[in-house]
Amino acid sequence: MMTRNEIQEKILAILTEDFEFDNPGLDDNLRDDHGFDSIDAIELLAKIEKMLGFTLERKEKEQAMSIRTINDILDYIEAMAASRKS
Amino acid sequence: MTRRVVITGCSAITPIGYGKEDIVKSLRHGVSGVKPLRDDGLLTEYIHSRVFGTVDYAIDYGFSRTFRKTMGPVAYYACQVAKDVLESSGLEQDFITSGRLGVSFSSTHGSPTVQRDIYKTFFSNSKKEFSSIGAVDYLKSMVHTTAVNITRMFGITGRVIASSTACTTSSQSIGLGYEMVKYGMQDAMLCGGADEYDTTTVAVFDNLLACSVDYNDTPEATPRPFDRQRDGLVVGEGAGILLLEELEHAKARGAEILGEVVGFASNNNGGDLILPNLEGITATLELALADAGISAAEVDFISAHATATKMGDVIEAQAIYDVYNERPLVTGLKSYMGHTMGACGAIELILTLYMMEQGFIAPTLNLETVDERCAMLRHTRGVTDRQTHIAAVQNFAFGGVNTCLLIANGLHE
Repeated sequence: MMTRNEIQEKILAILTEDFEFDNPGLDDNLRDDHGFDSIDAIELLAKIEKMLGFTLERKEKEQAMSIRTINDILDYIEAMAASRKS
Repeated sequence: MTRRVVITGCSAITPIGYGKEDIVKSLRHGVSGVKPLRDDGLLTEYIHSRVFGTVDYAIDYGFSRTFRKTMGPVAYYACQVAKDVLESSGLEQDFITSGRLGVSFSSTHGSPTVQRDIYKTFFSNSKKEFSSIGAVDYLKSMVHTTAVNITRMFGITGRVIASSTACTTSSQSIGLGYEMVKYGMQDAMLCGGADEYDTTTVAVFDNLLACSVDYNDTPEATPRPFDRQRDGLVVGEGAGILLLEELEHAKARGAEILGEVVGFASNNNGGDLILPNLEGITATLELALADAGISAAEVDFISAHATATKMGDVIEAQAIYDVYNERPLVTGLKSYMGHTMGACGAIELILTLYMMEQGFIAPTLNLETVDERCAMLRHTRGVTDRQTHIAAVQNFAFGGVNTCLLIANGLHE
């Protein structure tokens, strides 16, 4: 299982390269500071699935819609990884 | 209440250039934009026609990801020409977002490039591949993708019309936009159409025996509208957009008036979905004159649909002669760039505007020996310097849809 630091590094790389974020901060508001919208959320979930190596259930994806910051993304990924481990 | 509708901006991406300077140069020097068909790794090896009206130069779009994420290739074309017109228009941002500016713009069928990728995924029959369909694939490929990517990029909140009627897509877009302004629904409309490089369209026309196949080794020698040796159409790509504006609105803000839309008509043949129909086309030309309230004798120039198919050109020539006799000059502008499909009406209207402004008419390229059944018209045979006051732009589509737009050079007096 990846450490939080490893997850953070991967997510920051995705947000910078694929989503063209400028200097992302962990507590930036994704929508207000970076124009991240529902379309982006769905695209990011597909990338998170690839990172986790398993398919997320619909309910799990719906939970992701309350994410507001990069720290929230990291929490979410850790929680999903832990749920499969248990 | 009817109001006068003027053209206060335009831009086109075409196989013979991007922007007025390039395009006029190509028209004056007889430059063709028809090139060899590119391999798409799917169908091209089975297609008999090996030519395409190609946009083969780089365009510096500079769109941020925020906008790119919902755009297929066709929306890039659409948003680029919309950006050109809005940036040079001088329209205030308050007006752009006021709800009084609308968009009437479309393409033949969204983005075929994106659609092909979706179908590839469907036919892979794999769960893993299924999840690769992107969240935005529909937004990129839906039939009104061009219009709403324009509204999104510029915050336009007025009406959206997406007329997807094959070859009359953009001529209808312009005509319907004209009616929106004429009848007071909107004060201005961005109108036009676009289509991207697409071999499936070539395959369709190829199978209908409608594509040019005899000039595969000399692409610039085809299409050949009205010529005895014509052998069919050449599919092309591109985009064209016009800013239509209510006359008093344009005057009040001191906008340059490039032309006036003085009439529009659209009808249907009411029967066969493919064959050209003399009665239907003739009626369209007459209806446009009636809408404009002018006589046939006032029209100086006709931009013919003239795809260079065997029957289409003959029927159109007969319709032009029946309505106009041999008086106006006639040019088939597709001879320069092929049939740009959903973009052709807008592009051909813009080329006509450029020629009117510059005081010349370009000839039909590749017209060497006029087909005797088309010989009763006054074909433009060489670059002709002359002032044109009113021009007709004619387009006809599969499905039996016909359109005619009448435009004046500057304000119609």
